[in-house]
Formats: sequence, structure tokens, C-alpha cells
Amino acid sequence: MVKQDDNGSAGDGRTRQLASNSLRTLTDASFLGVFLMLVVMFLYFTFTQSSFLTSGNITSLLTGVSILFVVSIGMTFAMLSGGIDLSVGSVLALSGILLGKLVVGGMPIGLAIFLTLVGGAVLGGLINGFFVGIVGLSFLVVTLGTNILFRGVVNLWSNSKTTQVISPFLETLAFENLLGVPISVWIMIGVFVVAFYVLRNTYFGRDVYAVGGNADAARLSGINVGRTILFVYAITGMLSALGGILQVARVGAASPLVGETIVFDATAAVLIGGTSFKGGSGGVVGTAVGVLFLGVLQNGLAVSGVQSFWQQVVTGAILVIAVLIETLRGREQVSIGRFRLRRPARARGG
Amino acid sequence: MSADPTPSVSAEGAAQAPLLHALDVNKHYGGVKALTEASLEVGHGEVHGLIGENGSGKSTLLKILSGQTLPDEANVTLDGKPLPLGNPVRCLDAGIATVTQETTLVPELSVAENIVLGRRAIRRWWGVDRRASRQRAVEVLDRLDLRLNPRTPVKRLRPDERQMVEIARAISMDARVLILDEPTSSLTDEEVDSLFGVVTNLKAHGISTIFVSHRLKEVFHITDSLTVLRDGRTIAKEATADLDVDKLIALMVGRHMEQKTGGAPPAKLGKTRLSVSKLTVPGMIEDVSFEVASGEIVGFAGLIGAGRSELLQAIFGLHASAEGTIELDGANVWNRNPHQAMNNGFALVPADRKEEGLILPMSIRENLMIARTADSFRLRRPPLRREAEELDQVVGSLRVAGAKGRGGAPIASLSGGNQQKIVLAKWLAVDPKVILLDEPTRGVDVGAKDEIYEILDRLREGGPAILVSSSETPELLRLCDRIFVMFRGRIVTALAKDDASESAIAHYATGNN
Repeated sequence: MVKQDDNGSAGDGRTRQLASNSLRTLTDASFLGVFLMLVVMFLYFTFTQSSFLTSGNITSLLTGVSILFVVSIGMTFAMLSGGIDLSVGSVLALSGILLGKLVVGGMPIGLAIFLTLVGGAVLGGLINGFFVGIVGLSFLVVTLGTNILFRGVVNLWSNSKTTQVISPFLETLAFENLLGVPISVWIMIGVFVVAFYVLRNTYFGRDVYAVGGNADAARLSGINVGRTILFVYAITGMLSALGGILQVARVGAASPLVGETIVFDATAAVLIGGTSFKGGSGGVVGTAVGVLFLGVLQNGLAVSGVQSFWQQVVTGAILVIAVLIETLRGREQVSIGRFRLRRPARARGG
Repeated sequence: MSADPTPSVSAEGAAQAPLLHALDVNKHYGGVKALTEASLEVGHGEVHGLIGENGSGKSTLLKILSGQTLPDEANVTLDGKPLPLGNPVRCLDAGIATVTQETTLVPELSVAENIVLGRRAIRRWWGVDRRASRQRAVEVLDRLDLRLNPRTPVKRLRPDERQMVEIARAISMDARVLILDEPTSSLTDEEVDSLFGVVTNLKAHGISTIFVSHRLKEVFHITDSLTVLRDGRTIAKEATADLDVDKLIALMVGRHMEQKTGGAPPAKLGKTRLSVSKLTVPGMIEDVSFEVASGEIVGFAGLIGAGRSELLQAIFGLHASAEGTIELDGANVWNRNPHQAMNNGFALVPADRKEEGLILPMSIRENLMIARTADSFRLRRPPLRREAEELDQVVGSLRVAGAKGRGGAPIASLSGGNQQKIVLAKWLAVDPKVILLDEPTRGVDVGAKDEIYEILDRLREGGPAILVSSSETPELLRLCDRIFVMFRGRIVTALAKDDASESAIAHYATGNN
């Protein structure tokens, strides 16, 4: 099978192919439309609101979306694999409580953070991932169930009370800068780069797309589908735990009430970013665009003094439009209600 | 709906005219003519068999009669009146009802509710008039002499009983012609008998039946007359009594009949590579044993549902309930899942390329490499440059059009035949000892078909055992050294290349011994 190619044209082809690979994220980018809207919106707020494009405001915009960002990256893995993780908010809250207990109990902060991340991965992987991937239960049912279950554990364990968590390290994490950029933004960038690398440049990343694109074909090709799904949910759980750590750092306390609605925002960001609800296509670049879209929208409207409820109206509309566009693109026959836009391609019979 | 030519009215209406009369039915899909001046006549109260090989145009004709497909041109009358073609609801109203293998019943509802499902007559302003609906259902059941409790939920019925409920539903809608499309393929012998009882009963009520089946024994048992289709044309209309199995097979197979094996060179066979014994999958495969030599291509022929695909799947570890022994090069192996099968040296090219063979959102290169790299360390970086080289190599040797240097392009951008070559190449990359191919050229154009055959011919040299399951008999005759014919989960005969012919295979595949 491995024979050296000896003609020159193959070299050209190879270069072209490598180029097309790195361009792929940009060219088949289903998030391009949203990206353009993001740019337009950004320019609009820049020119209409003098207080929008200031380093202080941009910093608060970015640090404000950091928790949503890491959770959405985790959600991207779950959705690329063809599933969804409804338990991200409860894992986030439970991780916060765990971190609080560990820190208050006197554990060194580094070890506490490490154990919290491991805890999130275990909750996601060994519970959600095990039941979805290995046992084969519906991801909706499993993660809906664990979302409620984990939230119950949060309330029991914390006695429904917020505990103060005092840690200089966490404070640094939340409020200090490194090279002029907030540390939480560095964390976002780090998570993004690692996730991008894993999805695009490892066999595991291919597995995630393959399982989401066609789990049957992947299984028949020798891919260990169950194990892939287990790791996917472990990653989602771990990034939810990271969100929980950032939350505790920002507030300086572990609260049982956090993260109750983050699952909706994260799912919206992933879908707006062009990741298919059916799995198998999309990626973290789109999710980054989706999160920034939500962040700029919210921040810009706030700076403009518009009621924040408009953000909900716009977000909801954009979400439905984004999914509509994706659906229309994937269809041979396009019909909206009774109106048929294109004639169906008739199936061949025999 | 686009404006296609409306069928012209035939003004015959003589007393002895057939109930259903279809003339000059033409239909093409793209450049392929599915039907060419096909015709069909069904008399009053007659059981009429519609016979033909796969691809002869039977299902197209049935779809036209039931209004699901609009013909290019046709002249169809039911009791002298033109049939409203291209409109399934009005065809049903006119009196043509279809019962297929997949039942369209609602499992949670009762027999009676299913029979009257969707009928306006029993709707009242507060909902459904239960008593009236049960009464209607009981009338129909009595008329057909069906011993079914109208209150039983359909989910508790046997397959044949469900079919009877479908028939009852059709009759309750005043069907005049009932189309039974392969009604017996999932029934046991006793169930077939009870179904035939119902069909005979319909006849007594003046309702005509179009009976479509590949099982010729049943065709001879139940039908009064036959229409044979071949390559989209009506070849013969005969009274069943004037025919026998061999004559009928000759009519079905026609010109192919004497066209024997293709260009495959006689193989130099090696030692026994694969030995399967007493392989059983409950309900699908019964006690199947055979051996395949190194470098040999063996074929599996049989009707749909005969267990061909299931046999290959069972070998590949897809049926957990499979039992038996499999030996590879004299050593016992047993595949519990595809991953293990792959590591044991097995490869499966599945029948449904889009559902099981390819990952459509992914690129050509990723689809090609998926099996080969399934055991690599998962956090490794795929060597893109080497993969690109390998792709160009494969693309060159298998002549995959449109893929050279385009490894990053979506697999969906290739044509069906080239996609199939990628599925094949994906497995060749793991250098398998046993290659299982299910319908290797389904949905592939003629040119690519020949190329795939040549690829398989060349593969023999490497010495794998190659197993091909196909519903296209000419394909098996072209490729295989030996052909096993399956019927209802068993291998009923093994034909050597020189003894195999379309008619011989058709004879055994339709349940004659």
C-alpha cells in the first residue's frame, strides 16, 4: 500500500489538499453568517455608543462571557458527537460546592482545583457518558435525569446555603491581568486552543465527528463508539467544572443557585455557531463566534440603555433562524408550510 | 403538482372488460426507462400474479396503480373509468388498496379502531363514535370470515393477523382491487395458509387481488393468471394453469438465461481460509455451514429476507444471538463486535452505503483512513501528508474519479460508484483475510460496476476469502467461483461456477428443490 509517488503533480495535489484542510474550518463555515452579523453589530455599537469600545468595557465583556465560553466549548463536544448534555449547569454548581468544601476544609488550592476538574470529568464521563455511550440510553433522558439529580445533591450538600470561599489564588484568577489581558480571558483562549487541536488534529477528534456523523458506520469501521461518547461527556463535565471554578472565583463564594439557566445559553451559542443539532459537523470556532455574539449583544444593549429583555428576543430569533438555515441547506425538498420552494428530487425506483 | 399529460379515456366498457386495465404505461427515472409500454389486466374476482426479477419494473407499476408515482404516459381504467393517476388518496377512493410488508397499523389501538382509522363516517362532534366504529369493523371481519377479536390491541397480533387487519381495513374502504406486495416474506407456513384462506374468500366477494411474490410455489398455488415483467416490459400474460415453474423462470429471466459467467479467470485456489459451521441466528439463519478457500470468491444468492445479509453480519459480529463456530486458517475465531472482527482480519462492506458505509459529513480522506487508524493511539496527530500520499495511491489504483489530491473534499462530492470504491478501499487498507461484501454494486452505474468487479478479481491474488451477497444474479455469475443459494435462512444448494445459471438460481431461491 505504501509506495512512493514519483510524479510531480501529486506534490501539487498534496499542497492543495493540506491547504484545503486548514481552510476547511473557514470555508465550510456554517457560522459565517453569524460572524458577519457579529461584525456589523460590533461596528454599530462602536459608532453609536462611545462607551462601547473602551478597554474597560471590552474587558468586562470578555470576562463576563468566560464561564459561558468554557461550558459552551464542552457542550460543543457533546453536540458534535450527536448528543447534548443537559446537566452542565448542575455539574457547574456541584463543582463549585465541591471546590468550596475542599478550600474551606484547608486543602491547598492547586490540589482542590485539580480534584474539582477530575470530579467534573467523573460526573460527566462515568455517569452521563457511561449510560449514554456504554449502556446506550438516550442522551436526553440520561442528562435530564442527572441534571435534576446533581442539583438535588448540590442542595443537600450545601444545605441550600452559600458559603464564602476565601482564596487569594482564586481572586487572582478572577481579577488579575497577565500581559494586560485578564487571566480568565487567557483561560478561555487556552481552552479554545486545546479543544480546537483535539478536535481537528487527533484521532479522537475524528472519532467525535465520525460518531456524530454516522454512529453505525463508525461502529462498522471498527471505531469504539461507546468509549468515544464516554470521553466526550467526561470532557463536557470537566469544562462544566472549570466553569464552576471560575464562578466561585468571580463571586468569592460557592452558591447552590448558580448555573440554572446556563444550559440554554450554551446550547444556543453552539447552535448559533453552526454546529449541527444532529452532530457530525461544526466546531469550536463557530461556538466561539456564537458566545461572542451573545456577549456583544448583551453588553451592547446594556451600554445603549436598552432593556435587557431585548437580548432574549434577538437571541431567540437568531437561534431559530440559524437552525432554519441549517435545516434548509440539508434538505432536498424545501417546503415551508404549504409552499414548496423547490421540487423534490424523485427517488429512483425499480 | 406539475401538469403532466392526463390519461385519455378508453371508451370500451364492454361486458367482459377486465376490472383493472392498464395499457401503454411508460415511466422513466432520469435516463433509465423503468417501464416501457407495460400493460396489466386484472379480471373481476381474479387473483392475478405480477412476476418479475428485481428491477423488472414491478414496484414502479404498483406505485403508479396506487397513485404514489405519476407515469410519463399511461392509460389506466378501473371498471371502465379512468384512474386518477398520481393521487394516492383518490386512487384509494377509486378502489385500489395496497398492503405491503411493513404494516401501517397503529400498534396501541385495537383491531376495530385500526380498521376504521381516519374514516369520517364515524366521527362525531365529541370525538369518535366507538360503538359505530366497532360495528363497522365487526361487519368487515365477519364478511371476510376473520376470527379476530375487534378489541385486541394490534400489538398483540401475529404478523399474519396484522396483515389481515390491513386487508380488512382496505375492504372496509370498499377496495375493488387489493395489491398484496410480497405479503408472505415474513410469514411462517401456517400463517401463509391462513392468509391464502382470506385471499380465496375475497375472490368469492368479487374482489380482485394483485399478488406479488418471489416465491413461485405460492404463486402457482394461489393465482389464477399471471403477468410477467422483464426490463420494464410486459413479456407474457398467461393463465397460471398453462405454465410450470421452468417455463415461468424462463419467461422471467429471458435473454439473460444463456448468458453464462463473465470474464473472471479461473482462480488458483489456496487452502481453506474460512470455515463456518452450524451458524445460527434465531429467526434469521438456520444451521449454515460452508468453507471458503484462500483467493476464492463465493456468492450468496436468495430472495430478500432469505438471510444473506444477516449471514455476513453474523460473521462480522453484529448479531449477539449468533451461535456456531468460525475457523480462520484452522484457528477458532469468534467476532463479538465489529472492532474485534476487524482485528481478527475481517472486513464488511455493508449494503447501505449512506447509512452504514460512509460518514457523509466527513472528508474523502477521513472516510478512507477510518478503519486503518481505528487502533492508533487516540491522541496522536493523523499524519496528513502520509494520508494524502496514501489517498493518491488508492485513488490511482482503484481509479476513483474526482478524488485525486482532494482528500479534504466531502465524501458526498463523489459519485455513487466512486463512493463505493472508497468504502472498499477503506477495508483494503487493513489488509483483511476475509472480505464480506453485501450488495457491492448497489446504486452504482454500469461502468463503475465493471471496475469494482475487476478490483475484486485482482484482490484474489492476495489470498483473502471473499464472500459476496447480492440480489443481482448476473453479478454473482460474473464474480463467483461458487454460489450458495439461500432460502428462509438456510443454504439450500451450492452451485459450482459451471453449473450456475440465472434459471438454476431462480429455481432454488424461490423455494423449489
